[in-house]
Amino acid sequence: MEANELAEFNDWCPGCGDFGILRGMETALKELKLDFTDAVLVSGIGCSGKMPHFVSGPISGVHTLHGRSLAFAMGIKLANPSLKVIVNAGDGDTFGIGVGHFVSAGRRNASLALVVHDNRVYGLTKGQASPTMPLGERTKSLPRPNINGPINPVALAVSSGYTFVARSFAYDTALTKDLIKQAVMHRGMALVDVLQPCPTYNDVNTNEWYRERIYKLTDDPEVHDESETLAKMTQAIQNAYIPEDKLPLGVFYKNELVPTYEERIAANIPNYMENFPAAQKIDENGSSVTDLKKLVDSRTVI
Amino acid sequence: MRLGWLIGGAQGMGVDTAANVFGAAVARAGYYIFGSREYFSNIKGRHSYFNVLISDKQQRSIDTKVEILATFDAETVFQHFDDVTRHMIYDKALEPVSIDKVRSIEPETAERQAGILAKAGLGNTIGDVAAYLSEKGVKMVPIDYGPLMKDIINQLKIDPFVAERARNMICIGASFSLLGLDSNYINGAIEQIFAGKQKFFDLNKLAANAGIKSAGNAYSLKDLETKGHRVQLDGNTISALGKLYGGLRFQSYYPITPASDESTYIEANQVLAVNSGKEKHGVVVVQAEDELAAINAAVGAALTGARSATATSGPGFSLMNEGISWAGMNEVPVLVTYYMRGSPATGLPTRSGQSDLKLALNAGHGEFARIVIASGSHDEIFEDAVTAMNLAELCQTPAVHIIEKTLANAYSVVDKEAIITETRIERGKVVYPEDPEHYKRFKITDDGISPRAFLGHAQMYYTGDEHNERGHITEDSANRTVMYEKRIRKRALAEKSLGESQKVNVVGDADSVLLTWGSPKGAIMDAMELLKGQGIAVQMVQVRLFSPYPAELMKKLLAGKRQIIAVENNSNAQGAEVLTEQTGIMPTNYILKWNGRPMARDELADAIKDVVKNNTVRVVLNGGK
Repeated sequence: MEANELAEFNDWCPGCGDFGILRGMETALKELKLDFTDAVLVSGIGCSGKMPHFVSGPISGVHTLHGRSLAFAMGIKLANPSLKVIVNAGDGDTFGIGVGHFVSAGRRNASLALVVHDNRVYGLTKGQASPTMPLGERTKSLPRPNINGPINPVALAVSSGYTFVARSFAYDTALTKDLIKQAVMHRGMALVDVLQPCPTYNDVNTNEWYRERIYKLTDDPEVHDESETLAKMTQAIQNAYIPEDKLPLGVFYKNELVPTYEERIAANIPNYMENFPAAQKIDENGSSVTDLKKLVDSRTVI
Repeated sequence: MRLGWLIGGAQGMGVDTAANVFGAAVARAGYYIFGSREYFSNIKGRHSYFNVLISDKQQRSIDTKVEILATFDAETVFQHFDDVTRHMIYDKALEPVSIDKVRSIEPETAERQAGILAKAGLGNTIGDVAAYLSEKGVKMVPIDYGPLMKDIINQLKIDPFVAERARNMICIGASFSLLGLDSNYINGAIEQIFAGKQKFFDLNKLAANAGIKSAGNAYSLKDLETKGHRVQLDGNTISALGKLYGGLRFQSYYPITPASDESTYIEANQVLAVNSGKEKHGVVVVQAEDELAAINAAVGAALTGARSATATSGPGFSLMNEGISWAGMNEVPVLVTYYMRGSPATGLPTRSGQSDLKLALNAGHGEFARIVIASGSHDEIFEDAVTAMNLAELCQTPAVHIIEKTLANAYSVVDKEAIITETRIERGKVVYPEDPEHYKRFKITDDGISPRAFLGHAQMYYTGDEHNERGHITEDSANRTVMYEKRIRKRALAEKSLGESQKVNVVGDADSVLLTWGSPKGAIMDAMELLKGQGIAVQMVQVRLFSPYPAELMKKLLAGKRQIIAVENNSNAQGAEVLTEQTGIMPTNYILKWNGRPMARDELADAIKDVVKNNTVRVVLNGGK
């Protein structure tokens, strides 16, 4: 079965928010003219993890482990910084089992675009509470109301050092597409947290529930001068914590003044951006091209 | 000729540097050196020591007994006085100090060592130790460190706290005098090691020369003729050099003893000269947030075509299991350099052990071909690192290269060619597809190896789920049967790619076989040399390639042997267990050691004699402090 060649093949539930993200992703890739020569889709485990297999169009996909998609993505990006690396991961993937990688990705600020499929439940394992479900919420397959407090993805991203932080709603495919495009073209670590209904397991945060609450942010999110950083971060975090009877969408924070991880590496390896690891020819007909003379000489005692 | 010298001191007092200077200085006179390092999981203050073996031939082991015990503190005297046979250098001012005043010594150790003195009817001071040893014929070399240090401080007008770190150099000077070698060699070694640091150069040179005047010639070592160049390298550095030479261009790691030194070295030297210095290659080194990120980032990098690796030890390797399984499923060549230390759990984090072999062989859920190579000595590590990366790419599967702590932290002074070998690079079936949109990453082939394109060069899919040739998820039963077998069939290629001696190293020929792997090789080879002189012949069969296991070769080698003696640094003889599992052959005898210290030649030779002569079934060694 060559799923992507049969674009209609898909095994998500009817009405799944992932369809909205899929359309947004496909359109974003098309409009950015990205294909397998310059982009890679990386994903984690769960319904969202199947995304690379379902995207139609000439793109490559790497469907990885639960929680580890950012680690794989980092390896791909740093070994070949000419590729645009786009990560799709679930809320459990990102903020549960993989939360350490989520935070660390902010510290590095490598140019990766992370699209989180945030539906507040673990769908593929039958609806357990995810790290973004509010305290006290009880969706239909929970035996008792959730006794864990939620992670706020936008606030956590801003405080971890993400330099592009946005939120979308899965069924607003135009906004989702636009934010994915911005994230992909951003220089630095980008998050698009996409709120999505899970029609099978989340009977609380439904399509209607979201539609009654969402609205577009109008604040300017961008840091234009380093002196604005604290104010813009504060604004982003305030917007992130607006009580849930209102859910702002759009870009919360943007700062391209922070050096990317690729730039930090290039400061140590001057030809890194042209002659990155994946581009280097390590042998000539089986003979190593690496010259160890200087290293060995420094350890030569006689 | 073998001469053992041991220096100890509190961690942070420059014992390592002292042992390196001493080794480099003795090496200049034409001697081969093997130096074994022991230290606590501690930053400052606990007892660390270097046991340095000097010889006119390449050696790969230490003895538990040393000719010279070189000390400048009390704890080293108390820890090691029962290890010395001929000379002890010590601080005369410490004579009244008793063992119960040494706060850093562990109570179990203090009790045992004080017991030796009590049994001889002595008290428990350094003075009592001197009396005990003099009685046994060991010569005392007392040094007045205090006044000598004061002199140096006055001459250089430096902070006494800074000067304190040169105390060990007085001890080095005195040791050198005992050997009877030209003192210019010490100055040369100091010059090389402290190059560019004038203050430390002056300080150490002054201290070494003060030491030289404090002792006289006792061993009359002669300068030896040498040919070519000799290098002084530890196992971590040899592995790093092998990986760089073999084309490693991406390494991710999480800090852990005793693996991190390798990654730090690579990062420090990440801009490489290539094509005779005409160009530069950059090696990306990432300190990851944990070992999960370390392995998975390396796997991600490998998908782009860069030779990629990580380095870790037991606790980190445990965390890497799932990533290794994904790499097996997705046929990704990635290297894990596994620095094995004392297990389980945190175990003995700075000591050695061989108790994780089966973890390395079975890491990651599921069945797939994998490469596991174990190096036995410094002169195997460089070649093995390149070979491991070659096999990983030839077979498109993860490889594990085992280097024990004892080799990682020990250093050798040997002929350059013994370490740096011109190993070839083989990248296997790499393609740049002409029809990249219809490329099949997991195409079924006769040998199980699919033509491999890199991300960016073709449309491809990877997934941890069972997949079809294109890389898309499928749970189809017929596809499962074929794909599963493909991932296992690759073993045959790995077996075919290596020569017999790269799979199993055989030394000597006799009815009694010492069956081993990893670091015991050193003590075995040196003990065989010693036993030959005593008319005892044994053969060593050292397994280097554990996966795929060379079962037929092992059956051939072990057929008709009288004794198969498993020699390992663990309790279950895991290497021998693998032999039994793969061939049905059981060992007949065991020589085992799991106290975290390397096998020493003298204790091993005694054990071999016992097993060969008396057919003792199981001998457990406990040498080393």
